[in-house]
Amino acid sequence: MRSGEFHTSYRADMAIFDTARARHVLAVFLVVLFAVPLVGSSYWLDVLNRAAIAVIAATGLNILTGFTGQISLGNAAFLAIGAYSTAYLAAHGVPFVVVIPAAGILTALAGMVFGVPSLRLKGLYLAMATLAAHFIVEFTVTHWDSVTGGVNGTSVPAPSVFGFVLANDRALAFLILPVCILHLWFAKNLFRTRVGKAFVAIRDQDISAEVMGVQVFRFKVLAFGVSSFYVGVAGSLLAYHARIISPENFPLSLAIDQLGMIIIGGLGSVLGSILGAVFLTLLPEVLRLLTSALSGQFPALVQLFAPLKLGVFGITIVLFLIFEPDGLAARWRRIRNYFRLYPFSY
Amino acid sequence: MEFFLQVLLNGLVVGSIYSLVALGFVIIFKSSGILNFAQGEFLLLGAYVFLAISSAHAPIGAALLLTFAFSAVLGIVLERLVLRPLIGEPIISVIMVTLGLSSVLRAVVQGIWGTDTRPLPSVFSLDPIQLGPLPIARGYLYSAGCVAVLLVVLTLFFKYARPGIAMRATADSQQVALSMGISVRRIFALSWSIAAVVSAVGGILLATMRGGVDGSLAILGLKVLPAVIVGGLDSIGGAILGGLLIGVLENLSGGYLDPVFGGGVKEVAPFVALVLILMVRPYGLFGKVRIERV
Amino acid sequence: MHSIRTALLALCVAAAAHAQAPAGGEIKVGGIFDLTGITSDVGKPFAQGVRDGVSWTNDNGGINGKKIRLVDVDYGYKIPEAVAAYKRMVGDDKVIMINGWGTGDTEGLKAQVNQDKIPYLSASFSGHLTDPSKTPYNFFVAPSYSDQLRAWLHWVKDDWKDKSRNPKVAFFYGDNAYGKAPIEAGRRYSKEIGVDLVDEQIVPGAFQDATTQLLNMKQKGADYAYINVTTTGVSTILRDAKKLGLATKFGSNPYGFSEALPLVAKEAAEGVTGVMPHVPFGEKVPGMTRLMDFHQKNHPQDTHDALYVRGWTYVLVWTEALKRADKAKALTGEGVKASLETLKDFDLGGLTEPVTYTPTDHRPSTRTPIYQVKGGKLVKVAEYDMPRKPEWLGL
Repeated sequence: MRSGEFHTSYRADMAIFDTARARHVLAVFLVVLFAVPLVGSSYWLDVLNRAAIAVIAATGLNILTGFTGQISLGNAAFLAIGAYSTAYLAAHGVPFVVVIPAAGILTALAGMVFGVPSLRLKGLYLAMATLAAHFIVEFTVTHWDSVTGGVNGTSVPAPSVFGFVLANDRALAFLILPVCILHLWFAKNLFRTRVGKAFVAIRDQDISAEVMGVQVFRFKVLAFGVSSFYVGVAGSLLAYHARIISPENFPLSLAIDQLGMIIIGGLGSVLGSILGAVFLTLLPEVLRLLTSALSGQFPALVQLFAPLKLGVFGITIVLFLIFEPDGLAARWRRIRNYFRLYPFSY
Repeated sequence: MEFFLQVLLNGLVVGSIYSLVALGFVIIFKSSGILNFAQGEFLLLGAYVFLAISSAHAPIGAALLLTFAFSAVLGIVLERLVLRPLIGEPIISVIMVTLGLSSVLRAVVQGIWGTDTRPLPSVFSLDPIQLGPLPIARGYLYSAGCVAVLLVVLTLFFKYARPGIAMRATADSQQVALSMGISVRRIFALSWSIAAVVSAVGGILLATMRGGVDGSLAILGLKVLPAVIVGGLDSIGGAILGGLLIGVLENLSGGYLDPVFGGGVKEVAPFVALVLILMVRPYGLFGKVRIERV
Repeated sequence: MHSIRTALLALCVAAAAHAQAPAGGEIKVGGIFDLTGITSDVGKPFAQGVRDGVSWTNDNGGINGKKIRLVDVDYGYKIPEAVAAYKRMVGDDKVIMINGWGTGDTEGLKAQVNQDKIPYLSASFSGHLTDPSKTPYNFFVAPSYSDQLRAWLHWVKDDWKDKSRNPKVAFFYGDNAYGKAPIEAGRRYSKEIGVDLVDEQIVPGAFQDATTQLLNMKQKGADYAYINVTTTGVSTILRDAKKLGLATKFGSNPYGFSEALPLVAKEAAEGVTGVMPHVPFGEKVPGMTRLMDFHQKNHPQDTHDALYVRGWTYVLVWTEALKRADKAKALTGEGVKASLETLKDFDLGGLTEPVTYTPTDHRPSTRTPIYQVKGGKLVKVAEYDMPRKPEWLGL
């Protein structure tokens, strides 16, 4: 039974998992996670894949908005860039091991370009600029027919490795899950390094950071780049998962959904991104199960499902912001600390 | 030439409605520092409530008054329930709360009225009046007239009426206003209800011009953001001018650039203008420059 | 606390119980409808027609005694949701065919339904779905959008009285797969019959104001214009045109033209023509009695339109195919497809043209009636039969 933290070396202090038990629990969780694609039904595997993709995208957004304080409404645009570059490269026969990082890099470059306004704009105004970026990217995608297929969209061939085609959700899960875990691990480590700490300094008080020697503009642009890399990879996996992408896959509500994920999960926390993404991916599914179970008694429910989804999303965000502004991650930490020090939690 | 004038005229009329909604944004921002992403939904709800009341065969005047009363109450209730607890929270939370609110309001509208277009009883005949060589719809003229009247009333209100001056004082500095005896809470409530009513007017005008009410009216909330930023977030005159400018820009680009690009330019042009103005003059044409102190 | 827990438990049990619904002697059919999205003004009556048709079939003997279970879902015209719903229906619910809706998602899913061998009857009449060598599992019950546009262009040619020049035509269409579906066919056919296509205007998916597009069209001097959006969009365009005092005569596709149009567009709809492959509700044809009886018995207060009739015709077609497949003991996706392809001049009681599918041609019919709004009512003014040209297959 632990009774607080006591570290005797820098290494122990900086460790991600500070007890052996935490490491064991994680190992068990990973084993269970990888067992799911072997036994799950194809629909729930689809949900799992979508949740994992959302986790990557939410982590990317969190790096930018939660850790560096740059509000971005352009996430849907970056997902689109990642997805369409994947479609283009894959259609030209590039293998997916090259396509996914390439899509990430392309999106990172685009992100850095859109990050340039952050030199002069902050807060609300930066949010407006990223909103405008969304519409501009949407326009480009809809009209650049030769590359993106315009409004009819474009199809994405399935990823294949050594002749083995990953054509269904079961096989894709074995691609998506490791990529997701890799990115999460990288993000967690990013914030133990100098770069990550510079990001956080910029969020907290960027003028003081500049005075202290942090090159604010350089790191802001880098934050946009790293965040967009994540979102680009998420977009790439989304393209491989959906197999057909069109501009309708990337509406503004997608960006709002992802902002909602990191708010509900917790800004500035990798665990928060995971919790928020999984929560908001599962919410419509739970809602659907409920409505189909109750639609026997209330047949009008089928028609109400779409507004219900929208309304529940909105109410969840509002309630979380009023009552749990630090998100699920903070709540989880508080619960964990309570049990960690039980019964001496004061 | 006639084409240009026609497009310009259409732009001015549509822009006048944008000005109305932009005014709603600015009123809220000026007094409480919040950008209300749910403004489009105030417009939507105003239009639907008006539809519901006038479908119950109420005379138009009564329907209008009831709709305004509803919007005023809605503004007050939302401010109290949702925005009050978020005073002092970081701006991202405030933005997200209004986005969440907009989802909830849209869901309520969809849930109650569904998504079909509900026809509104015809107020104006569709035959155009000839203004020189240009035909203008009657509805447009009335709409532009209403907006002009409303803008004059609001400008006078902010300049000379006590609550209006109190709102400007609160926008300048809440602490000083409090120490002068102004009830800041009441000012917040007042500003939200005025903004809601103004949006409702915009919604009703737009719906009567189109002949029907449906969910797509809420898109105006997003479209007006460039107008607000171009004009300056805390300037009433800026909101008016910004709305007109964006309306004209939209229609000019639709008229001249759409054939070149095959459509869609009309929707994206205001946002390109938004980016440009943010790069050149982020505080808009008439906004107050904010000086940051550490 | 205790009561909340028991309530939640009860909810879970209810959900579980519902999930284990009886499966024996039941045929599962999927339904993907738009009840809340941008085409819901026409999607809702269609969905109601399908549901009512299924109810009626189940009440009148089912499929040789077996009941149909319609697993229906609202996808709000969002293609990713349609794809997810499809995966759920085929993977979990194990449906053997699907009654779908929109062009975007139908065209998006066509490779998948081919791979999974699931017959997909959609309310999309896109010409791209008519060639079985490319899309063997896609069907629909009406002349294709392309044939409809050709029929309307034919009407234009007949209606145009000035012999000194060709009539000038403009196309208005939405910026999506549905809007663009017949346009290429329309371009080619205009050249063939001597109609001048002078302008093409694109409108966004949901729009308030079509004034700039109409002004541009006015500059090109179009005499006629074909609108390929849905009723809400058509109404906006008509009203804006009237406000501008335009003399252009407008025509619309069957998703923009129904009894709802005069109600929404009011006086602006007067004189507008439209393609109507399915008759208005209440038209005096033998097949209408079934619908009227059902309507009287179940929801006499509701109003219905041609879209409702359309939904019914779909059910009549695929229940016939299911019956034939069941008799042949082949109640699978492939079996249903084969049965659909045995339908020859299958009579629908005048609700729409008789339906014929063959393994090499999925165009059910090619005769298109043209209706016009006169005095707020829909009146048939012409009918054109497009030849079944092989080069038009799949266009």
